[in-house]
Amino acid sequence: MKAFSLHAIIVSRGLAALLRECLGSLDRAMEPIRGRGWTTGVTVVDNASTPPLRGQLDDAPAHDILRFDTHHSFAAACNAAAQAHPADLYLFLNNDVLLHKLALHHMAKVFEADRRTAVCGTRMVFPDDTIQHAGVVFGPGEKGPYHDHRKEASLLVPRITRDCQAVTGACMLVEGDIFRRLNGFDEAFPFGLEDVDFCLRVRQAGHRIVCCQETDSLHFESMTPGRVELDIPSRRLFMERWKNRYTVDG
Amino acid sequence: MKLSVITHTRNSAQDLRRLLECIRWVDEVIIVDMHSADGTRELAERSGARVFDIDPTPRVDGIRNQFLNEASHPWILVLDSDEYLSHDAEPLVRSLMTECSGRYDAVAIPRFNRIGNYVMRGSGWYPDHQIRLFVKGTVRWADAIHRPPSIITGDERLLRLQPPNCLHIHHDNYENLAEFIRRQVEYALSDTYNKDPSLFRPEDCSAKAYAEFAFRHDRENDGDISTALATLMAWDKIVRCIVHWDSLSPKPSLEKFFTLPITTSIPDEQLRGQLAARDRRIAELEDALRKMRSSRLLRLATWFDRTFPATSRSVARLARRPRS
Repeated sequence: MKAFSLHAIIVSRGLAALLRECLGSLDRAMEPIRGRGWTTGVTVVDNASTPPLRGQLDDAPAHDILRFDTHHSFAAACNAAAQAHPADLYLFLNNDVLLHKLALHHMAKVFEADRRTAVCGTRMVFPDDTIQHAGVVFGPGEKGPYHDHRKEASLLVPRITRDCQAVTGACMLVEGDIFRRLNGFDEAFPFGLEDVDFCLRVRQAGHRIVCCQETDSLHFESMTPGRVELDIPSRRLFMERWKNRYTVDG
Repeated sequence: MKLSVITHTRNSAQDLRRLLECIRWVDEVIIVDMHSADGTRELAERSGARVFDIDPTPRVDGIRNQFLNEASHPWILVLDSDEYLSHDAEPLVRSLMTECSGRYDAVAIPRFNRIGNYVMRGSGWYPDHQIRLFVKGTVRWADAIHRPPSIITGDERLLRLQPPNCLHIHHDNYENLAEFIRRQVEYALSDTYNKDPSLFRPEDCSAKAYAEFAFRHDRENDGDISTALATLMAWDKIVRCIVHWDSLSPKPSLEKFFTLPITTSIPDEQLRGQLAARDRRIAELEDALRKMRSSRLLRLATWFDRTFPATSRSVARLARRPRS
């Protein structure tokens, strides 16, 4: 079995306290895959934080920092970090996600079992144990993509790992070669839906997308100020590009 | 438009590695090395930089000018070896050079300063604009430590970047406050001071110390570290005053050293001007008082007060009564 190199990329604008917890949970989640011989690295993209994150994360687990002085889109920040750190697999992770300690273990098993897998997500819950993410599905007309089972009690949603059309970029394990071949996330998206756009392009290229359901990681969602305003132009762009070109899940 | 980077080094191998890594995109790197013994020179050569050797000097500022002419390109960026740039610096610098074309000759870039694990938020340490990006031949440094260079073509040709969300210089200044104190003392001992004893004014030093403290003290942004640094930098003004006084011959009196200052939070030149204006005003008042004392009318009034004190008080009361 091949031992992969995995590089985690976390984009953050400020929120150092949250980021320290995120890095701590990531390090714990990486332990099982390091035990299987995988090599791991972590890059924090400091997206024009004032003051810079450097120095504020010294007591967090090992990582390096890629600093931007001006604000970049999520897509541009992730692409730059991925380009700077060639790896077999990338884990794109939001700073407000606290990974379950076995989340990466299950995601890694999916890649090891079937090399046709290009993208893998994981189930995430809000602090009240309701579903934040269990895969992205698509509705008819203007509804477009949305989180399946959102706000339903996690306890009531079956824990069957399954294929889906897209997973969230808040926690997304991606095959490095495919990420590079598809030129990464599309930087035309200001913030949001670049992840779903990428997943649809991955499916067009004939690869699998899977969402693991075994564990519940915690996702607070949209903690960065100003982030929500950027969703609207992103959604407009997404619908122009993809409307009527995806399968309606019902 | 092409860009040359100029950096002065002395046993800077560790920091220089990071700097060279983040300026790989520039068109030319010039390293002016002061006989480093830690592999700095070799590192610079391996990176393809043009390397010049000079004798060690306590003040880099004064010798910056002589190497500006070595730059092969029209724009120059001056960085210290313990500074570095962000990952998006290349597009930011290139667009600044284009934006400035014909309108500005130099750019003041905000700088983040880090002391230990702490990046300063205010306290006069941020935004800490530095004139480092400029057209060759338009900027000149004075032979003094930590003084801003002058724009030969005029201050209106300077573009001052407004943070946040713009290019910054990142500066890892000091490992801790002990290192800060040691270097401040070194700078104070190796700086240049005016040799004319008649221009030495000890009361200016205490005024500058108070002004420095008022300027630097910013607990809202930096808490105790602000108080510590503001105190040390005010103290630095006192130390420099004594070092300056010690270098003079003959030595002027330090009698007025702790005269309370008349003002705070004002730049050196303005302070000097205000002190001169205050001295002129005092001289004018003393002169007027002397003339008053010598006037016949005043002498007569003084004789009347002493001779007829009760009458004098009644007259004074009448003079104060409102007219009906």
